[in-house]
Amino acid sequence: MAVAPHSQVFLFLSQILGKGIVDSAGRNQGKVVDLVVAVAELYPPVTALLYLPPGGKSPCRFPWNKVAHISGQVVVSSPAPAEGPSGNPAEGGLLLKESLLDKQIVDTHGAKILRVNDLHLLKVNQNLFLIHVDVGFRGLMRRVGLEKAADKFFQWFFDYHLTDHFIPWRFVQPLSSPDLLRLKVAQNRLSLLHPADLADIIEELDIHKRSEVFQSLDVETAAEALEETDPKIQVRLIENLNPAEASDIIEEMSPSEAADLLGDLPKEKAEGILKEMEKEIAEDVKELLEHPDEKAGGLMTTAFPTLPPQATAREAMEFMRQEAENLDLLSYLYVADPEEHLLGVVSLRDLLIASPQTLLGDMMNTRVVAVQLEEEKEEIADRFAKYGLKAIPVVDEGNHLKGVIPFRSLLEVVAPQLGK
Amino acid sequence: MVSNDNGTPPIPPGTSGEPEKEIPRKGFWKTLAVFFALFGPGIITSNVDNDAGGITTYSLAGSEFGLSLLWTLIPITLALIVIQEICARMGVVSGKGLSDLIRERFGARATFYLMIALFLTNLGNAVSNFAGVAASMEIFGVSKYLSVPLSAFFVWWLVVKGSYKSVEKAFLVACLFYISYIVSGFMVDPDWGEITAQFLTPTMEFTPAYLTMAVGVVGTTIAPWMQFYLQSSVVDKGLKPEDYQYARMDVVFGSIIVNIVAFFIILLCAVTIHQAGIQIETAKDAALALAPLAGKYCTWLFAFGLLNASLFAASILPLSTAYTICEAFGWESSVNRKFAEAPQFYGLYSIMIILGAAVILFPDVPLIPIMFYSQVINGVLLPVILIFMLILVNDRRIMGNFTNGWTLNLISLFTISALILLSGAMVVSAFL
Repeated sequence: MAVAPHSQVFLFLSQILGKGIVDSAGRNQGKVVDLVVAVAELYPPVTALLYLPPGGKSPCRFPWNKVAHISGQVVVSSPAPAEGPSGNPAEGGLLLKESLLDKQIVDTHGAKILRVNDLHLLKVNQNLFLIHVDVGFRGLMRRVGLEKAADKFFQWFFDYHLTDHFIPWRFVQPLSSPDLLRLKVAQNRLSLLHPADLADIIEELDIHKRSEVFQSLDVETAAEALEETDPKIQVRLIENLNPAEASDIIEEMSPSEAADLLGDLPKEKAEGILKEMEKEIAEDVKELLEHPDEKAGGLMTTAFPTLPPQATAREAMEFMRQEAENLDLLSYLYVADPEEHLLGVVSLRDLLIASPQTLLGDMMNTRVVAVQLEEEKEEIADRFAKYGLKAIPVVDEGNHLKGVIPFRSLLEVVAPQLGK
Repeated sequence: MVSNDNGTPPIPPGTSGEPEKEIPRKGFWKTLAVFFALFGPGIITSNVDNDAGGITTYSLAGSEFGLSLLWTLIPITLALIVIQEICARMGVVSGKGLSDLIRERFGARATFYLMIALFLTNLGNAVSNFAGVAASMEIFGVSKYLSVPLSAFFVWWLVVKGSYKSVEKAFLVACLFYISYIVSGFMVDPDWGEITAQFLTPTMEFTPAYLTMAVGVVGTTIAPWMQFYLQSSVVDKGLKPEDYQYARMDVVFGSIIVNIVAFFIILLCAVTIHQAGIQIETAKDAALALAPLAGKYCTWLFAFGLLNASLFAASILPLSTAYTICEAFGWESSVNRKFAEAPQFYGLYSIMIILGAAVILFPDVPLIPIMFYSQVINGVLLPVILIFMLILVNDRRIMGNFTNGWTLNLISLFTISALILLSGAMVVSAFL
């Protein structure tokens, strides 16, 4: 029978585990118990196998390049075990059965946590590459040993052709060990997720994996994800960090979210973190912390654009462009005097169509709808609805501008009551 | 409150150290406060345990053997505490459910067959609970063709349309209604001296009927599903290792309550039905037999307790089963998801309720064989799960420093071997 010179065959890990190993002379050398892959590659190649010698207790490692071929058995070219059981068996790689099979992974494409039923490998000549993770029902049936029976049953009973459910390896983020999450080479794939999806995934994980995953994220991704996470879980995640690490992440959050979070933390912890934070941000956050969550003062952010009336439209545009990244709100620019008295408001639209020399003081709308620091959320919601605004400024009794409530912040408070 | 008259300048920003919330004092009150914030899993689990099957078994034990089985409740309570404590500890330390741990440690094949067995035995339990609803409502003169579909819809709706918080609250309220059995126990005004003596002195009759009943009482109190349910709800509560002592208090408290309820059911049937020498076969018989002996209010209370227990278990058991199976296979599972987001979860849950209720509505359905085989699967499943638990709780990679010490292992091993022996005896006797 002719064999194609570049035969490509798909194999499942479940089909390889437990296979017997024989040397070229046909002597029994043991059984395959695990495979090692080099995880840094896009499609990780198998670099070694772990086997249990006959009568042996602990697995030995054997380099894959000494494997002559695999069919019913694994035939190896060199007779004696190349390496003993000494050292870390996963040395420089990832153990497929130990750290992937039956474990949870994140599908970064579908933004879901799934359980690995099997692993799909591609054989090119004698090299094996990990290409897919099998998370489907058929994979589960294969592991149970009922793949054919399940196929037939579904075909006969439902006239349904049972298909495999694979996830390409490049969309897979393993979770089983902290080391895997920190692998810089493979790049943490979790940062590709939308922060809201990442937050959902973090919430769904168990307490240990939660902190492992969270701590593996870069500061910016961590801050974005944290903003979207349930407040109770936020507190847990931050409590596990030291003040320096925590302050780095909290600085990246919007001041209002940061204040909410710090307000929920135990007082000592919150103060420790505030001390580590950049002074300017810490001041903003402290001011927000003074107000209860449900009132205007607690909903507002201090990261909003404000300029004096003498500024021109050109200067205002330039200011907005420079500061945009640090602002929670861009729809409106508020005009205030040096004592922070609220004088008027200019919308971004006005700014775009105004001629560059116009002074803000001349173009601003002076009939500003504002609320007091102590205003209740229901009242604020009414104002938003009545005037069709994207944001409402918050002032104290002396009409000093203290902050702005973006519509988004109000929505977070009101949305939970909408469905009921 | 900070007084803030009109016109006073606002508080300067940056002042810290203002007393905002009073930190609760250490000691008894703090402990009590934290306990009430964290309790629930153990108490709910234990009360679901007194489901229709449990009440039937206790009624039969009391009416056939009088007070002589009462003492078994002491070792049963201890065994329940030992087993549930392991689950609570694994939940707190690993942050994972039991089926999750089993899947990761023992692989797909073992998990698959375990889950099938769990599904079947819990389906049997679901049937028995809808039978309990039908029986108790018939005492109040409501046809089963009305009560069973209505109650099935009610429990389905509660979970599918409610959030977990509301469901848990509803369940905690249901726990209160078990008091009806304690009230009925006092209503018959028993001889407390005699009861105390019987409770504290173990007696054994080496007759097959007595032993079978003893095994039945143990089997109905310690069931496989409980371990999964308890561990998952401990994980759901998000308890930290520091809170572990509260989880343990919850478990101990729950285990004692469940046996107090059992105590009063046995007592009630012993001093009335047993003394009158009446033969009964079901919990409904027991309730009806109480009317001439203890008054119709006693019957009503008994029937009401049965209804509450059946409804309660009919909603938790399918929920727990769906949750456990989805967790093992990595399917989306949460009462906080919508139907389309977690089809397997809601599918399994709905199937169990629909099948469980439908079986009762068929005329001439062989209820007793169904119950019987479900109990047999229960008996086979329990040892497997207990052994898995013992292996898991001793695994340092999972439990770190919270593995069993050797004394605890000895106690667990003793408890588990005793339970395995009893379950084995039941399975063997089933085929003799």
